[in-house]
Amino acid sequence: MYKWLLLLVCIMGSIAVKAQSGFKPVADLGPLKQQFAKAAQQTQSIQCDFVQEKNLSMLSDKITSKGKFWFKKDNKVRMEYLQPSYYLLVINGKDIRIKDAQKENKVSGKSNKLFEQINKITVDCVRGTVLENADFRTKASENAQFYRLELEPVNKVMKDYFNSIILLVDKTDYSVSKITMGEASGDDTTISFLHKQLNVNIPDAVFSVK
Amino acid sequence: MVLLSSCSNRYKYLQTTQGDARCIEKFRPRFTSALYSTQVDILKHHLSGLLFFKQMPDSSTRVVFANEMGFKFFDFEFSKDGKFTKHYLLDKMDKPAVVKTLEQDFALVLLNPDLRQAHTAADNEYGYVVVPTAKGNNYYITGKDCNSLVRIEKSSRRRPAVTVWMQSYTNGTPDTIRIKHEHFKFNISLQKVVKQ
Repeated sequence: MYKWLLLLVCIMGSIAVKAQSGFKPVADLGPLKQQFAKAAQQTQSIQCDFVQEKNLSMLSDKITSKGKFWFKKDNKVRMEYLQPSYYLLVINGKDIRIKDAQKENKVSGKSNKLFEQINKITVDCVRGTVLENADFRTKASENAQFYRLELEPVNKVMKDYFNSIILLVDKTDYSVSKITMGEASGDDTTISFLHKQLNVNIPDAVFSVK
Repeated sequence: MVLLSSCSNRYKYLQTTQGDARCIEKFRPRFTSALYSTQVDILKHHLSGLLFFKQMPDSSTRVVFANEMGFKFFDFEFSKDGKFTKHYLLDKMDKPAVVKTLEQDFALVLLNPDLRQAHTAADNEYGYVVVPTAKGNNYYITGKDCNSLVRIEKSSRRRPAVTVWMQSYTNGTPDTIRIKHEHFKFNISLQKVVKQ
């Protein structure tokens, strides 16, 4: 009897959570992949602000960072953190450079498997090809405004660090509005992309470190 | 000459004094919640990120270091009585020597030594609170009147192995912290930033 009651409570709980978020599962990923890829094909560039929140679960605290983001086809990304301290990440094809308050560094993606994979996710997200990424199993759900893509890592390097990566994709233009990276430790990092401008002209010089 | 100077005892001119070793307690940072922009240079490698100190309700202090993109390197806890707990350390870094070094470095920054065996000393320039350790002493070097903290040295019998500078205190925490290892290249530099 007790077990049945417990089961009932769990089911009621899960219904309540689903109703709260308003997301319903997308059974067939096929059409979504097509729409996503089609929109990505039409997206030549993205320019926006971002807010990053690192949630430290055990400390009941978070660290908030803010900055600017640029993407240009095919694989140019500039992520410039302005607060609370300066940090620049520039991906230009296979070339990854970072610059902090003191130093500029070239990152060798090959020698840092995890960094290479995180880099691939970032680019895949903005290019709309993340659903094709074989490093993850994907589940999709939707509400009126967003698609919610839950990516579960399948390879060991990613699994050791991430539990899941959740993308919130805006239905109006199929651009990523929010990325939440859940760590195995219980912490997570959320990046929200704000004030998005699609297909504006971004000079190539933006993707050099300076 | 170089060999002679490196072997000489850096502390041989210290004279024991009758001061109060507890005078250094006022320099203990009050890390209620403090965020630092952090640069680490270790051998040929350079790391940067944000280091967060937070005092927990049980009076322990958590020290968490993550890079700017949120990628966590470590999460350590120092209890009120100095007991160390490693909650997380990136797999690649998780070596006993690394853990011990980081534990000892941040223990110096938290400035919570057991002063029961400590004594005070002085040379011509500075006052010293000398805290015996297993391999030598920790020297808390102050102005003559113990009104300012000049630096902290973790030393063998003769010379420092690690030096810590904590400068420009505001609201009970230093604006800058610098940790320098004297025997190999391992420097940590922290600059307080506004936590949003």
